[in-house]
Amino acid sequence: MITVTFVEANGAERVIKDVNTDQSLMEVGRANGVEGITADCGGACACATCHVYIDPAWEAVVGQADDVEAMTLDMAPNLKPESRLSCQIQLRAELDGLKVTVAPAF
Amino acid sequence: MIEITDTDGKAGCPMNEGFIARGASLSESETARARFPFYRELRGAQPVYFDPKLNMYLVTRYDDVQAVFRDPITFSMKKGYEKTYASGHQEEFQAILKRDGGGFFRDGIMSDPPEHTRLRKLYEKAFTAHRVKGLEERIRTIIVDIIEGVAAKGSAEVVADIAGPITAGVICEQLGLDRGEIDTATVQRWSFAVVAQLGFMQDREQMIKNAATMCEMQNYLIAKIREREQEPREDLISDLVHARIDDAENPTLSFEEKVSSVRAMLIAGNETTASAIANMFYVLATEPEVARKCRDAVDDERLIGRFVEELLRREPPVHGLTRMASRDVELGGVTIPEGSHMMVMFASANDDDAEFACPREFNTERPNLSRQVGFGGGVHRCVGSALARSELKVVAQEIVRRLGDIRLDIAVEDIAYVPSASNHMIRHLPITFTRRG
Repeated sequence: MITVTFVEANGAERVIKDVNTDQSLMEVGRANGVEGITADCGGACACATCHVYIDPAWEAVVGQADDVEAMTLDMAPNLKPESRLSCQIQLRAELDGLKVTVAPAF
Repeated sequence: MIEITDTDGKAGCPMNEGFIARGASLSESETARARFPFYRELRGAQPVYFDPKLNMYLVTRYDDVQAVFRDPITFSMKKGYEKTYASGHQEEFQAILKRDGGGFFRDGIMSDPPEHTRLRKLYEKAFTAHRVKGLEERIRTIIVDIIEGVAAKGSAEVVADIAGPITAGVICEQLGLDRGEIDTATVQRWSFAVVAQLGFMQDREQMIKNAATMCEMQNYLIAKIREREQEPREDLISDLVHARIDDAENPTLSFEEKVSSVRAMLIAGNETTASAIANMFYVLATEPEVARKCRDAVDDERLIGRFVEELLRREPPVHGLTRMASRDVELGGVTIPEGSHMMVMFASANDDDAEFACPREFNTERPNLSRQVGFGGGVHRCVGSALARSELKVVAQEIVRRLGDIRLDIAVEDIAYVPSASNHMIRHLPITFTRRG
């Protein structure tokens, strides 16, 4: 069980505790109604509606987007170097404490 | 020549062409031929418009379309589907399918959450962007074969010679169906019969004919399902038949779900992707600037991906899909009564300048391309979007590499479209070209 934090686009912090690691970061956000994580394609890396910015302290642990994810991210508004699709971040013990900010949809 | 002015007196595109005043309907061919001016007038003056002949509300603004996507319970897929399926001949249709077609199988995916979620999760796994990436070279082989087959001839009919064989070829291979047994014409005939049950333009005689076609299709698919139940192979039918679902009470698909799922996979990506390919040829043949952008993008994954996405934004094959209001609901300043049919106009949302600046301009560098809704949105967003994009990308690349000087071999005003309120589908597109490379 780990803890992850989403900062919604309006600044509200959503600290989510007791999270199972058998899921993606997107699934946690969606299940907890985090604003801006609509995940229309359901985690298929095809729609960019689960776009987040990784907190600088976590970038190295989370890692970079692969080519397929980078292609989908490229078309998303408000792209930054720290952008990732949360559906592509599989949770694991090392991500306990992870903090991300939800990218504004437009 | 008189210059048309808008209501502010500024010269430019006419904002009002009298569609609303004359009670225009998307079911009329003259309105369907002027879809984008019609949508523009609606967005400006009556963004949720009651189409008097279709007997449904058209939702035209980007934000309102998104509001529908975000609330799949209020804007129900299931209720509309069950009410309109088989265009008022449902009882007789069901009886024919039960008698001659192995059973009547509802499309399990045409439902609302939470029921919808069970099948949706399974389908999502079949066509993730990563899985499709792994299929790309196989897809390319199929597409190259088909384009090479016409390249030396100097002319082709895009729908029958290129687009249909490509989409049928790709999906049959994925499902593991033998192209020696079912050719492109068969796949298209089956697709037409299935899709006709969701439209509103089928009379009883056509229903009987389509029902017989669906019986033939189901009998074929059921035999394939039975084979895979006994002996799984490396194909999508086997994956579906043996799938384990994240649902403790019902961890495997019922027989009804297996048939409806295999049928849906075979049909869903055919007409739509083929239409998008035809649209691509049309644009390449008629807009030299866009053709140049396509040539410039051919070896750049990022640019060619953006080219395809902008094509889908500006020329989506599916212009809209239906929902039913499950309660009285206000949208775009209009109260839609419970039980009303609606059509969510993806093509109009993609054309809304409140979301996409200069929407008719073909601009691959739009900063918000991912927000185009050609694949729909919300929980019903197209589950095969990654496969469709991959096919379109490879088609664009291989056209540019193998064909030059693409021109229409038909006058623009003579191009016929399939009569449909929801789809913008070219029926035949004869072209000429030269061989490159």
